[in-house]
Formats: sequence, C-alpha cells, structure tokens
Amino acid sequence: MLVRLNSRRIMTLLMVLLTTMALSLTAAHAQDEKVLVVGSAEFVDSFDPARSYSPTPMMSLQVTYDTLVTFPADSADKFEPRIAKSWDVSEDTLTYTFHLRDDVKFSDGTPLTADDVVFSINRFKNIKGNPSFLTTTIDSVTATDPTTVVLKLNVTDPAILAKLVAWPFSILNSKVVKEQGGTDAADADKTDKAEGFFSTGSAGSGPYILESYEKESQLVLVRNPNYWGTAPYFDRVIFQNIPEAAAQKVALEAGDIDVALGVTPDQVDAINKTDGLSVYTTGAFTLYYLTMNRQKEFGGPLSDPKVELAVRYALDYDGFRKIAGPGAVTPAAMLPVGMFGAYGTDKAPKRDVEKAKALLAEAGYPDGFETTLDYPTYTQEGLNIETLAQKVVSDLAEVGITIKLVPGDIGTFIEKVRAGTVGFSVLWWQPDYIDPDNYLYFLPGRNGGTRAGWLEADAEPSLLELRDKALAEVNPDERLKLFAQVQDYWQANGPYAPYLQGSIQVGHNNNIQGVFRHPQWLLDVATLSRVE
Amino acid sequence: MPLHLYIVRRFLFAIPLVIGITLVAFIIANAVPSDPVSANLPEKSQNDPEIVAAFRREWGLDKSLPEQYFTYLGNMLQGNLGRSIKTKRPVIQDIQQFLPATIELATASIITGLILGVGMGIVSAVWRGKLVDYVTRTIALIGVSFPVFVLALLALSIFHAQLGLAAGPGRLDVRITKPAVVTGLLLVDSILAGRADILGNAIAHLVLPSLVLGVYTSGLISRITRSSMLEVLGAEYVRTARSKGLSERVVVMRHAFSNALIPVVTVIGLSFGNLLSGAVLTETIFSWPGIGRYAFQASTSQDFPAIMGISMLIAFIYVGVNFIVDILYFFLDPRIRLA
Amino acid sequence: MTSSTFSSTRASVWRERVGQAGFILRHNPLVLIGLVITIIWVLASLFASQIAPYGPTVQDIDHRLEAPSQQHPWGTDELGRDIFSRVLYGGRITIIAGIAVIVFGSLLGSFVGAISGYLGGNWDELMMRFTELFLAFPTIILAMAITAALGPDIRNAVLALVIVWWPSYARLMRGLVLSAKTNQYVDAAQSLGASGRYILFQTIVPNCLSPMLVLTTLDIGNAILTFAGLSFLGLGPEPTTAEWGRMVAVGIDFFDQWWMWLFPGLAIASLVMALNFIGDGLRDVLDPRTRK
Repeated sequence: MLVRLNSRRIMTLLMVLLTTMALSLTAAHAQDEKVLVVGSAEFVDSFDPARSYSPTPMMSLQVTYDTLVTFPADSADKFEPRIAKSWDVSEDTLTYTFHLRDDVKFSDGTPLTADDVVFSINRFKNIKGNPSFLTTTIDSVTATDPTTVVLKLNVTDPAILAKLVAWPFSILNSKVVKEQGGTDAADADKTDKAEGFFSTGSAGSGPYILESYEKESQLVLVRNPNYWGTAPYFDRVIFQNIPEAAAQKVALEAGDIDVALGVTPDQVDAINKTDGLSVYTTGAFTLYYLTMNRQKEFGGPLSDPKVELAVRYALDYDGFRKIAGPGAVTPAAMLPVGMFGAYGTDKAPKRDVEKAKALLAEAGYPDGFETTLDYPTYTQEGLNIETLAQKVVSDLAEVGITIKLVPGDIGTFIEKVRAGTVGFSVLWWQPDYIDPDNYLYFLPGRNGGTRAGWLEADAEPSLLELRDKALAEVNPDERLKLFAQVQDYWQANGPYAPYLQGSIQVGHNNNIQGVFRHPQWLLDVATLSRVE
Repeated sequence: MPLHLYIVRRFLFAIPLVIGITLVAFIIANAVPSDPVSANLPEKSQNDPEIVAAFRREWGLDKSLPEQYFTYLGNMLQGNLGRSIKTKRPVIQDIQQFLPATIELATASIITGLILGVGMGIVSAVWRGKLVDYVTRTIALIGVSFPVFVLALLALSIFHAQLGLAAGPGRLDVRITKPAVVTGLLLVDSILAGRADILGNAIAHLVLPSLVLGVYTSGLISRITRSSMLEVLGAEYVRTARSKGLSERVVVMRHAFSNALIPVVTVIGLSFGNLLSGAVLTETIFSWPGIGRYAFQASTSQDFPAIMGISMLIAFIYVGVNFIVDILYFFLDPRIRLA
Repeated sequence: MTSSTFSSTRASVWRERVGQAGFILRHNPLVLIGLVITIIWVLASLFASQIAPYGPTVQDIDHRLEAPSQQHPWGTDELGRDIFSRVLYGGRITIIAGIAVIVFGSLLGSFVGAISGYLGGNWDELMMRFTELFLAFPTIILAMAITAALGPDIRNAVLALVIVWWPSYARLMRGLVLSAKTNQYVDAAQSLGASGRYILFQTIVPNCLSPMLVLTTLDIGNAILTFAGLSFLGLGPEPTTAEWGRMVAVGIDFFDQWWMWLFPGLAIASLVMALNFIGDGLRDVLDPRTRK
C-alpha cells in the first residue's frame, strides 16, 4: 500500500522549515538600493567593444567605458572632452594630438594612461571585427608620454572625431584585458581570446561595472566605486529582456520596469492615459530598408538594377509611415533626414505602380516573378519587423512580384546577412557615428555594399571616385555637394530600397528623469534619476 | 518477486529503449537535414575549411554509417551533444542551465494536474450519471480542447494584466536579485539562501503557468480516474466493504481510490511527454527560462544540434519517469509482488 | 495521442456498437452540440470565399488595429486585415492539415501495424519495440526538430506530425489484426491455400478498417491542436497566411488588441472541443466500462 506519511513527521518537518525561514528573514536585511529597470528587446552579438555591433551592448558599453571625446548628453551637435581634456589638429588634418586627464582610474583602481588608449585602439584595429572598418583611416597611434596620445591618419578623414565617440573606441584597462587573453598584436584577429570575458565583466573607467549577463534574460550593471566623474544616481541598473512590445507595456504598468524602450506608436495614447506613466517621443536616425543582392546567385531577378528600381517604385511609402505613426518620415535615399548633407522629405520617392510594372517588363519580367524575403522576428524600437515585411509582400504583389517570407531569429539572421548570402532582406541601420560619412558604407567596396553583393569590381569608376572624394573631403560646403551627388545616384541606382525612417517612443514612469534618447548611444542610464 | 530483483529487471528493460532512442535520434539527425555540415555549423564557420574538417572528424562524417553511429554514441557518453548554433555553447551546458526551471514548472504542473484531475475523476465517478458528473466531464473536455497557448494568453490577460492578481512572466520579479545558484531550482535555492521573500515570489510566479499546464494535464487524468474508479466501485470487495456498514467516505477513499490509483499512475507517466510538449508553448508565453523555451528558440533559429540534444534528453527523461512509474506499480499492485 | 485503449473487439460486436451510436446521439446532447459546431466550421471554411466580407490577405492600412465594429465584426489586425474573414479562411488550412496528418499517419501506421500483427513472433516484437521508440519523444519537440531541419512550411509541419503520429496507429492496427487473425474465415482462407499477402490485405485488413476509421476520426481534434501549436511556434505556414495558430502568435505582439488573438484562439478551441464532444460520446459506445 501507499507509504503513509506520519503526520507527526510532517509537522516536525514543517516546524524546522518555518524556523529556518523566520531566522533568515531577520538576517535578510533589505537594503535601500536604488535600482533602475529598463525593458527592451535584447539584441546582442558580443560585449567586446572591438567586436560588438548591436544595441544592447552599445548601451552597456556607453556607461561601463569612456572614450577620448564625446557628445553633449542630449545631442550630437558638438564634440566635448572626455578622457582627452583637449586636442590639437595638425595643418594637414592628418595628425591629432590628444592630451589626457591624469585623474582617471579604471574600476579596479588602476590609473588610465596613454598606453591603455594605444592598446585599445590597436586591439580594435587588429581584431578586424565587425566595426573595425571604422579604423581604416588610422595609420598609427602612439603614446609620447603617459598623458599624450598621437593619432596619425593615412588620409584626411572629416569623420574621425565622430568615430572616436563611438563604442568600439572604448578605452580598456589593458592590464585586465591582457590577463584575460587579450592582445593588440597585428594578428589579434586570431590570437585575441578575451571576447568571452566581456560578457562576464567589464574593464573600463565608466560610471558602472558589468556585474552579470544572462543571455536572453537580463544584464546587470552596478555602480563603479572608483568612478572619477560625478557619481550616477542609481546603484544598480538592470536591462531586462522583454521581446514583445505588448509585454513591455504590461510590465511598465505593473511597475516591474521603469523604462520601456520598445513602445509602439499604437501604445502611446494608452500609456499616456495611464496614471504615473508617459511616453517620450522623438525622431530617430534609424533607417529601414530592403537589400537586394547584386549577385545573381543570391539575388536572382533582384540582382537586375531595373528590378531594383521597380521595387523602389512599387513600395507604398505613405502606408509605411502610417504603420510607424506620427514622427515617421520617408527618407530620400540611404541617408536619414536630419543628418548633415541629407535631402529632406521633399525629395522622398513616391509610389508609381505603372512605372514599376513597366520597369519589370523592360527587365524581362512582364508577369513578375517569385522570390523569398528574409527578415528577423524582432521588434526594433517599437516597429514589428514582421509587420513591415508583410506590407512589403502586399506592395510588391501589386506589381506581380510574389514573395514567400522567411522569418529568422535575429542573431542567426544577422549572421547570414553579414555573410552576404541573403538575396532579399528587411534590414535597418542605426548610425555607428553621427556623420554622413557612415552611410558611404552603402557603396561598393564598403561593408554594406559587399553584403549586398555590390562589389568594387562591378562598379562604375566614376562612382568609386565620387565615393573616395566624399570620404576624404573636409570642407563642409564641398561635402554638401558630394553627398547630394551620392544621394542622386542612390535614388536611381543601387541594391537598396529605403522606405522608412522611424520615430521612437520611450515609455517611462513619471518619476524617472533624464535623457531618454541619444542619437549616438541610444540611452545613457547614468543620466537617469528617480524623483523621490 | 523481491523489490531489488524487480528494479533490476525493469532497469534491464530500459536499456534497449535508451539505445533505441539514440538510434532514432541518429537516424533523424542524418536523414532529415540535407547537409549535416550546414545544419550543424553557424553560417560563418561553414566557409572555414578548418572548422568544417574538425567538425567532420569530431562526428566521423567521413566514415561508414555504423561507425558514425558509434562515434555519435561515444560523443554522447562523454556528454557531447554538439554545439548550439545560436548560443555557441555546448548543448549540454545550455541544458544544464535551462533544465531546472522546467523541472520546477513540470513538477508544479503535475501536482496541479493531479489534484484537479483526480478530484474531478472521483467526483464524477461517485456521482455517476448525475448532473455533477456531467458538468465535471464537460469542464474537463473543454480544458483539454483549449490550445495551451490560448489558455496561457487568457490567464495572463485576465489574472495578470487586467486584475493584477497574479505575478507576470518570468520566474521572479525583475527587481529581485536571484539567490546563488546551487541546484538551479529557485524554490530550493531560495530556502538554502534563507530568503523567504524570494521563495514567496518564486511561488507566486509559478502559479499561473503551472495552473495552465495543470489544466492541460488534468483532462486525461480525470478521464482515467473516473473510468478506473467506476470499475473498482463495482468490484466485489468494495461491495463487501459497503455491506460491512463502512461509511461511504471510507469506502471511496480507502478501498476504491487506492485501487483505482494504478491506472492513474500509468497516465502520469504517459502524460509526461504531453506535459513537456505543453511546456514548450507555456514557457514561450510566460518567458519561462526553461528547456521548452530554449527548444522553441532553437527551432526558430534552425539550431539543429540544440533541438536534437533536447529531444534526446526529453526522451531519456521519459524513459526515466516511466521507470519510476514501474517501480510505483510494485507498491500499488500486489499482483506484481506475487508474480 | 490516440485516445482509446481499444484492442480486442470483434467486427460483429463492432457493428452492434455502431448501431448504438445513433442511440447515444439522441440521448447525449454534447455529441449533438459537437456535431453542429463541427459542421458549422467545415461549412464556414468551405464557403469562406462566399461568406467572408473581405479577402484573407487584403490589407487596409487606414483601418489597422480596429476593435470589433459593424464593418469588421471581429476587428482588424496590424495591417488592417479583417479578422473574421481571416478566421473563416484560416479554418481551411487547419482542418485540412489535421485531416492530412490523420490520413497519412493512419495509412503508414496501419501498414506497419498490420504486417507486424500478421507476422507475429520475433518480427512483431522487433517492429513494435521500434515503434515504441518514437513514442518516447514528445510530439511537439520531435516535430520541432524535424521542421527545424527541413525549414518551416505547411507541408513540412504535416510531414513532421505524420512522423510522430503513425506509431500509435501502428499499435492500434496491430491489436485489431491480432484479434481478427483468430477468426474462422482466416483459417478458411489458409486452408484454401491463399497467400499470406492475400489473407492479410483481402480478408483481415478490410475487417479492421471500420474500427480504425472511427478511432482515427476521433483523433482529428488532437491533430488540429498540435498543428495549431506548431503553427503558433512559427513552424507552420508563413506569416501572411491566414491560419489560426499563426494568427494567435501574431496577436501576442499586440496583446492589448485582444480580438487579434482571442477570436482565432476560440476558433481552435471550439472546433477541437466539438470534435472531443463527439469523440467522448462515441467512446462511451466503444468502451463498455464507462457505459451507463
């Protein structure tokens, strides 16, 4: 028969349990820790500044490391000193000399010196990671004394300071990173073993330290006790992974999170009506576009420039703006509205179904064709990518292009895109640094172009010449002219169809104050505080 | 038959089953994907001849099929289930991380399902043909007909979002720092850390998902309980007990129910697989960091090694659970002891 | 997976029981309710193009995420598609997929089970042990593994479900064949010198078909439920397709717009419930223990 549980034995067990609990309650002293919880859809490729290229690490690196120069807390209008208290530029703009502060300490107490800066930049360059194209104009970096760093360029680069603000130029504690297997040697791409370390801890001089990271769950930052600047308000910051916008809203309402980064345009009214909550809305540089691979092997019919143009004529730009809500605009080309040199919305493309059909017929597809479209199941700043993808399907169906959707996990999807093997994909781009220079990335011979199968070898020489001029020109008026030419080219040519520039909505508890959005680093949690 | 002999015999029966499962998994892993290299390696590594060669060597892909199978078995015995494409970690490590959350949820759900199912089953058997029987059976039928993901959404929407009665997704409130990981089971770890507040919070978070999964499991349990109770209630010894003038409660609970338990125990073993299928859906909706959610993420990112690893693990668990059920029989069914 | 423990019924007894079904139908209102709901869903999806006010994939961005109204009785989704129309069309895929799983699963299962039961002995033992192995893998997870390797679409989801579905039918068929084998007409056929293949497929199997048919029909609800689950996980039809499980999945991202997930969710639940009502009533006929 069944084992009869002796009732006396059960009581004893319960008593023991309860006593332990009671004892422990007195021991567990509830600390009055100031905790901030940010809800967002996690997207992590790596936490190594030299390898990372995704939003969650970007926000973490912003407050765990420092860069030589920076932007004001709420804009990207001018450069401000950070680790470098001042800098000089040579006559030919090829040599930058940075004078460092002498009072900066890393989180372990070690002083930050020029050697750390040299190590960090060289490591970044030699790792040849995803963002390493930012270093192509750097010839050499040297420390002339413990507080002076000399950066020599191999070509004029109007965007070099803007690049130095970006997270890959984070200054690492070279001692710690070396202990973790890091190296700045020329063969760092093969010999550097420190990547794993960066998701378990941090080695920077920023206001916070990375305490722990649990994949697809949460990222925890804690106050850096040795921070050299003004201490931030919160002791602990938690980035909680909440992939669905709807769940973020529920969590915000329940008080589980203080800030929701992925609020959708449709939720704004409901949140604003909720007691104690509001939504901060602002324009963003985030550019949504389709990529059509130029290589026939991957792109199929879409590798034909005429078909590419037909796709640009076939998209219903007004409809996309309606989905994205107020504040969303249609960009004129692969340069977001508001960026230096970018065309305004007056030059935005307009839908013309007849013209699209004519172009398809001209390309030899009078009855259209079938293809697949890859997209990640992801919500980017409140925009559900799957919704956008389905809109593309319906728009292109009207000109005879039949699309089968291929959803993918964000990490795997990005890996495929970076390998350049995807024929047709829904993508978006946030600037790595705030300068139009960043968007020349979408030209042949640059990473963006290569991923779209748009190779230097197949491009017109005039385009390559234009590209190189635009990259090197430092005179602002000349730059304006060159970027106008690039945008004109993109409107008629190229494997991209930019169709939307989103606005972003940050939902937050009213007791949270600070800067909710920065064009460069998205969110700097060190600027946030709670009104008691 | 003495207990130890019985256990040994059952154990010997389980061995061919375990070997068979590895064989089935091996067949699927080899027959289903068009190319094992592209199914098992991340996009980037597929173009790296060194990595591809190392992979082929590790799994013996250049050898004959039987040899491949033995390589596969050998790797598995060393705990090598391959490397996840998505997390880039050995699958076995991922499983170690995510399994405890599922064990916690599954246990809570089985208990909920048993209470609900056995309760309903007894009620409708005792009042057979009465209105109560009818209503209970209809409720049970509706319970099994609802897709578990719709049930989960309804529960979250009503009890968490609208009424604010139940804790939301996840295993703990976000603001609560997790106790040190000892077993990975939050209920145990929070007791070990001496934190009653964490224990309470963890239980609060368990309520909704385990209720949803429990309802899903209770349907089958209540049906079997009812039919085996009916059979037993009509049996000779129950009638004898009644005629001895024992109260109906004693008759039902002591004589009938304990004998009706045998088929119920069988059903627990059988519904365990069902429960894990349901866990995939429930964990996905409740952001429960268990192997169900891990399996879901693996399948959407075409993470073949991860999902094969999980399939196999769960098949083993299934064998294990049914092994335990067999041993329970020994205590429940006198015929086995006499055999 | 399969719902009944049915093994040793003889064909003659069977016919008598089927006769009782009419009685049950008249006296068990749940069976009647189930039948009515099932017929409504089948008709609704058959004539979706006539009944539905809109096309299943017609987008109307100006009227996106609208709550139920006169124009859109069940509201609209994130692209302004009419939920009511999509649910009507969605039934087609879900119901057909459910039936396909049952048909192919029972064909494969019956074949294996019939041979195993007929051959008996070691062959039977071996084949049944092999079949049982598949039962150790949980349905959804094994199906997930298969679709993960083949890539998600409707056909692969059905294929995956057939692979996890057939073993229980094989067991069922084996049981039926084992009991039919003892019949006199089998002895008669043997004494007349008929070949094994002839005896199995011409005399035994036809006698097992009607119970097999009824029992598999009872299982459609389960097949639909599991298919919807796969589809919910994104392993079935592609996102633009109107399909119930898929629609619920999309609805999660728009949790506040409850009509997006509630109506397709209730569609699955009501159809499966209806099928289970019928199944439960019929099971009462088949299983003497639970008969009143």
